[in-house]
Amino acid sequence: MRVLTVDDSRTILAMLHHTLSNAGFEVLQAEDGQKGLDVLASEDVDVVITDINMPVMDGIEFIKHVRASGEHNSLPILILTTETSQDKRDQGRAAGGTGWIVKPFDPEKLISVIHRVVH
Amino acid sequence: MSDLDDFKATYFDECSELLTELEEQFAAIQGGDRTSDRLNAVFRAIHSIKGGGGAFGFSELVAFAHAYETLLDHVRDGRIELGETVTVLCIRANDIVADFVNAAKAGTKLGAGYGADERQQFDALTSGNAPEVRAPAGGDDESGPAMDEFDLDFVPVMVNLETAAPVPAAEEAAMDDNFAAAPLVADKPQWEIRFAPHSELYARANDPLLLFRELANLGELTVVARLNEIPPLADFEPFGIYCTWDLTLVSPTATAEQIAEVFEFVEGNCDLSIVPLAPRSVTSKGDPSLADLAAIVTPPADAAEEVISFADLADAVKKDMPKRAVPVPAPAAPVAKLLKPAEAAADPAPSMASEDDERRTGPEDRRGAGVQSIRVDLDKVDRVVNMVGELVITQSMLTQQMDDTLRARYQELVRGLEVLAQTTRGLQDAVMAIRAQPVKSVFSRMPRLVRELAQKTGKKIKLETIGEATEIDKTVIEQLSDPLTHMIRNSADHGIETPDRRKSLGKPEIGTIRLSAEQAGGNILIAVEDDGGGINRERVLEVARHKGIVAADTTPTDEQIDQLIFAPGFSTAETVSDISGRGVGMDVVLSNIKKIGGSVHVKSKTGQGTRMTLRLPLTLAVLDVMLVKVSGSPYVIPLSSIVETIQCSRADFGRAPSGAKVLRVRGEYVQVVDLANRFQMMSEADLGNRFVVLCEAEGGVKIALIVDDIIGQQQVVIKSLEENFESIDGIAGGTILGDGNVALIVDVQGLKATKLHKNAA
Repeated sequence: MRVLTVDDSRTILAMLHHTLSNAGFEVLQAEDGQKGLDVLASEDVDVVITDINMPVMDGIEFIKHVRASGEHNSLPILILTTETSQDKRDQGRAAGGTGWIVKPFDPEKLISVIHRVVH
Repeated sequence: MSDLDDFKATYFDECSELLTELEEQFAAIQGGDRTSDRLNAVFRAIHSIKGGGGAFGFSELVAFAHAYETLLDHVRDGRIELGETVTVLCIRANDIVADFVNAAKAGTKLGAGYGADERQQFDALTSGNAPEVRAPAGGDDESGPAMDEFDLDFVPVMVNLETAAPVPAAEEAAMDDNFAAAPLVADKPQWEIRFAPHSELYARANDPLLLFRELANLGELTVVARLNEIPPLADFEPFGIYCTWDLTLVSPTATAEQIAEVFEFVEGNCDLSIVPLAPRSVTSKGDPSLADLAAIVTPPADAAEEVISFADLADAVKKDMPKRAVPVPAPAAPVAKLLKPAEAAADPAPSMASEDDERRTGPEDRRGAGVQSIRVDLDKVDRVVNMVGELVITQSMLTQQMDDTLRARYQELVRGLEVLAQTTRGLQDAVMAIRAQPVKSVFSRMPRLVRELAQKTGKKIKLETIGEATEIDKTVIEQLSDPLTHMIRNSADHGIETPDRRKSLGKPEIGTIRLSAEQAGGNILIAVEDDGGGINRERVLEVARHKGIVAADTTPTDEQIDQLIFAPGFSTAETVSDISGRGVGMDVVLSNIKKIGGSVHVKSKTGQGTRMTLRLPLTLAVLDVMLVKVSGSPYVIPLSSIVETIQCSRADFGRAPSGAKVLRVRGEYVQVVDLANRFQMMSEADLGNRFVVLCEAEGGVKIALIVDDIIGQQQVVIKSLEENFESIDGIAGGTILGDGNVALIVDVQGLKATKLHKNAA
């Protein structure tokens, strides 16, 4: 199973990579929404994990673009967030986000959330 | 936990970059640029620091960053105006964040009180604008606010949790038929869940099947699809939602929270009711209403045929097609299953296990397609640098071994060696480029320093930076911060005059410090220039005489006086202040710069300002040198300091009044150093057959070195003497030549300094 992780923080990307690859996922990475779209254009992925606050293209725009293409209607997208206020997360959901993961994530929790949204 | 340590290292690296970025952003913000891009970048930086900090449980840091982030969020969306006060508060907050980061790095705690004032100010600012936003208090040993978020998130979940409430009478008859008649005597708690997804649920790639799968993990699940809403085929809309579900979960352990969590992601995208029923034994006979139902499925855990029907159902759900009615097994079997006690819950689902296996056999650890740069341990780069250095030596050794007869005989080999030389050179440049970094990383710390200095001294100072993109070896960059800080302090403290004084002198009130970097040949020049009063030479000379640095009877030139500020022990009592006079003089700057193979030059004009220039090598590892012989031993002189070479017999020697030997070069008298004498060796060659290597030391001061022979130019890899032997006055290091011999590198700057010192003493 392939996971695309989109985050501008190297720390988070590294931790996601570690946790996910240990759990047997194949991990693709992108540093912002635009790069995330680039990856999706050329790679098949089973699930996307994206940050909200990113330069160039934020997570909400990214999700909107993914859904707008029509090609990825059933691609689960998990929003990675630390927002205490629910605004951002709700915006992310309204844009087409499937679920969310609250940072800091516990590795087991992360995997279980992925299994919640992926067949 | 070396993985964790790795992540921490990444995190702290990232933090220092983010903190640098914050500096830059706020420098621009203070300059009046308050575009939303900047504010967003600031917000993101703090957000990232907080996010990573939470992962490692740096609760103090997270708590503070969280409060600060809340403020920034208000600033970002305009609820709080970014005026002078708020900007100053933010800059202070950046410092506090940096302190927390450093404390976390060092594994210490700063205590609950640290940054409390600022946090109070954040809270005051934010609560005035949006009372609903409240920063969680960060307890010392708690997991921090970010950890609590999951709990916070649960509170508003709009699942209809009618705990302990009786089933409303309005609930459908089917339910009543199913359950109301059952005797309420059994020991198993049971939940009734009605679930009707909206189209948004599917649009967000949520899948009812997955929700059911997760519920099935909590206990024995019975899924009943309600199909009575399905219209005739002619009225079917491709994306219409016609299927709803009734679920029964029998579980001794499941809690309302657990069930709510399953539906967490679909909250608001479905009609959902979760009702606990009093425990009862499942002994009722097949209910007549069940016959109306087109599908009854048990969890995928139990048996193969049920897994199939479950999957078929999933397919049907996805496509929203009525075909789901076809593969569904006859109600009797699942009902029979349903009536059996729950034995399934204990078993993990086999269908998922096989999926897991697939996952594990998938290709491992492929780097993402989006990654354009990699981070490499500096040690690894240095290993490459070293090996390339050795390669350079081997290559030059091979070239040296080729005598004329060999050259004539093996022309192909010669050509090959030439190509090798070229490639080696290219390789060397490429490797050096890996270590190079823009000076921006150091320069960007300076605006803040200047602001602080301006505040403390009450002067008005602006900083201009030029050439930030100039690249220089990473090690040099790291050593640059302290000297630059000291030089800028010096300029602000001693150079720039007070606004009043500047006005009276007819200068603009605001003083300027210009920080610039440029590449000049094999060197990088970094200059700190101010438009202040210049060096007060009278006082400098007075102090130097008083301290015995300059003999009372000598009269140094203006340039020499300027250089005196770098003399060891030259501490100007009068200039000791909070800012620059910390008992460390400019001699520390000089020795730091010398350590990295550089030099410092000062130029001052009374009333107009001072310019201090650092001349630094592009790289620390390789040096272009001239190979010379002194008493039969090879020495190398850095090419960068050589002006010209002259044959001794043609040179014009003389004696200075002090008795020292001087050389007259185009009307200018230059100090002479006979290297053989200086290094206490006997030279067998007579003066007529020897050579003068004219070098330029710092400050444009020339010095003439007498050597026995000049062999040629080449590149050498510098080996530290301190590391391999011990420091020797006048020698900057050693190197291994192509033939395996060791040659010492002449420290031109050092020779001059010791000479001057002797004169002065």
